[in-house]
Amino acid sequence: MAIATQPRGYVDRPRPSGLVDVIDVILDKGLVIDVYVRVALVGIELLTIDARIVIASVDTYLRFAEAVNRLDITEQGQAEGLPQLMESITSGGAKSKTEGALEGVKEKIFGSGDDEDEDDDGSSRRSSSKRRSSSRSSSSGDGRSSSKKRSRSGSSR
Amino acid sequence: MTNGGGALYVYGVMSAAERESLAVAGVEGAEVGTVEGHGLAALTSPVQGSALAAAREVRAHWRVLQEASESATVLPVRFGTVLDDEQAVRDHLLEPNAERLTELLDRLRGCVQLTVKGMYDEQALLAEVVTSSPSIASLRARLQSLPPQAAYYDRIRLGEMVAGEIARRREADTRHALEVLEPSAQASCVENPSAAESAFDLSFLVPRAKQTAFGKRVRALVEEVEDRIEIRFVGPLPPYSFAEGNREIGGA
Repeated sequence: MAIATQPRGYVDRPRPSGLVDVIDVILDKGLVIDVYVRVALVGIELLTIDARIVIASVDTYLRFAEAVNRLDITEQGQAEGLPQLMESITSGGAKSKTEGALEGVKEKIFGSGDDEDEDDDGSSRRSSSKRRSSSRSSSSGDGRSSSKKRSRSGSSR
Repeated sequence: MTNGGGALYVYGVMSAAERESLAVAGVEGAEVGTVEGHGLAALTSPVQGSALAAAREVRAHWRVLQEASESATVLPVRFGTVLDDEQAVRDHLLEPNAERLTELLDRLRGCVQLTVKGMYDEQALLAEVVTSSPSIASLRARLQSLPPQAAYYDRIRLGEMVAGEIARRREADTRHALEVLEPSAQASCVENPSAAESAFDLSFLVPRAKQTAFGKRVRALVEEVEDRIEIRFVGPLPPYSFAEGNREIGGA
């Protein structure tokens, strides 16, 4: 399922979704079955936690500060903006100076560099996400910026 | 449908009457089947190991639900849900929740989820923030004269002020987008912003018959804001954001 770019001015009908468009709702929404009934699987919980990267983090503030400082108010346009960033993520080469808040997760999901779409076998990444998922509970509270760190280091750089 | 005795990955729940066999493979490449009971069918596939490569399987999860919901109404189950066996699916999912799930499916029938995401053009947004806020502009000017490693806490403060300004704009733009789009939807849901440059991330439950009307509203919104916000209009999706039942679903 290719991720088509929507022709400009043609928005009456929605574009068929690519995974990148729905990854947030997939990880965050849906019927939740009681945790005591579910079988715990290594590798799944971590991804879910990593997705909850919070926007209000020191990392983000520093990034904004840097971006604002670099900003050439009179003439703009050469730094990489969001559309290009999304493109480079979906095409698999997500090495960008601009760090999107979800970059860690998206790199994990879409791979960085390896075959972009259907067939990465994930086995190389399996080991990196094999940390115990006992830190689940941190998803609700303050452990957020640390889970961000974890996602960064866990993604294949 | 037999799934053997092992653990089962659960994708979603639908009415047993709407069940069809799926052509796409599930997690670990397994064939997708169903476990039925109480007029409901849970879409499942066997899971072999004790670990899943989440990065790959999230794609399988998405594809199965996408395909299953093309002709039927499917309540998505949260990604990564695995139950012990067929019996557990019946005893812990279908049986105790039969009434609620059936009611939810009835309310969602004939509707699809459409997602409207707005992303700010980061450069334009930051320029606007700096030029419209004297306090940000002056702190920025002061920091620019310092070497990059200096004034760490002031830099954080500058970033925090910028983030605050963006949050205010996001709030206003979200409210406005809802006002424009909601009249053609049965329900709406404001998602958590998924990126620092997110202007809004909205999910709508739209009756299939109203998709064209909804699309016209999206176009109107795009025309209004396109110099500041890039809009991505995506769907139809299974009703991920409306599957929980504790959310108010507007009257039909």
